[in-house]
Amino acid sequence: MVKFTQEMKEALRVPGKGGSLIYLCTSSRDGNPNIAAMRFVATHMDDKILIADMFLLKTKANIKENPDVAVTICHPLEEGRWWVFKGKAVDIEYGFPRDFDWYGANATDILNEWGNWNKAEPPDEVPPDIVFPKAVQRGVVVVHVEEAYSIEPGHVGDKVL
Amino acid sequence: MTVNLTDRMKAWIEAMGCHLCVATQEGVPFVVLGRYAQARAGDEVVFALAEDEANVLAPVLSKNARVAFGVSRQGGIRAAYQFKGTGELLRSGEVFDAVAARAKEEKAIDAGAILLVRLTELYCTKPGYEAGLRLDGMTPEEIDAWERQRWKDVPRKKE
Repeated sequence: MVKFTQEMKEALRVPGKGGSLIYLCTSSRDGNPNIAAMRFVATHMDDKILIADMFLLKTKANIKENPDVAVTICHPLEEGRWWVFKGKAVDIEYGFPRDFDWYGANATDILNEWGNWNKAEPPDEVPPDIVFPKAVQRGVVVVHVEEAYSIEPGHVGDKVL
Repeated sequence: MTVNLTDRMKAWIEAMGCHLCVATQEGVPFVVLGRYAQARAGDEVVFALAEDEANVLAPVLSKNARVAFGVSRQGGIRAAYQFKGTGELLRSGEVFDAVAARAKEEKAIDAGAILLVRLTELYCTKPGYEAGLRLDGMTPEEIDAWERQRWKDVPRKKE
């Protein structure tokens, strides 16, 4: 079982709070990779990464057929955030059984706290030509992290969790 | 489908580098950085990889050549695209020599391999109604006009 460092927890927050823009990497069951940037990110417990389900298309389809994902920092990298987190993901959407459990994370707790993320942590730092006009959240992607490796130049592949 | 990278896309790719994603045949994804990138044509991008970076990708690519990448750093939001294609690791030859030399000169990267990606798919990833919009198949003029209606900013190359 992994445990995030404090530095990781501070990085895995929305950019407006000193966190990061992240890349969520998924794959179809037969190995067609997909990479998409995400702004709404947080940690939960010591080994879960939460990502808002807004505008997810291929990412959502991939997670529904294959839970294996990787999460990495897109920006800022220069602050030493050279990590790739690997684990199993589920998209806890509205309508899930309220007692659904994903490696210890409870659906009710997740949706109560992060189910209206745009209101809780509005994307004030996102430039006007990129920001979405109306955010519609359908759920929260919960990544149960099982391991992490480095992509820091000179240390690529080294285990960090 | 045919991919036609715009000059702006090429500038973002080359200035910021890219996050490169591959997956095993069973669907397990892996990511490394492509710190030095060069768009060689409208549908080809090469990345200089240090040996340890290449070592993460090589076992996966040997069985599954599919690659997806997005632009690193501010490019993750300013260059809202996903690029997909097939990848080939080059460890010698004319392309390897030329790209490795430039990567050494510009970014001090000792390249162990060059990843050549032949693009086949291009998607818009701007949050909102255009998320997931497929852009390959557009002519160079069409894609250029489409992009100019939305963004014109071009980054300076990082040292």
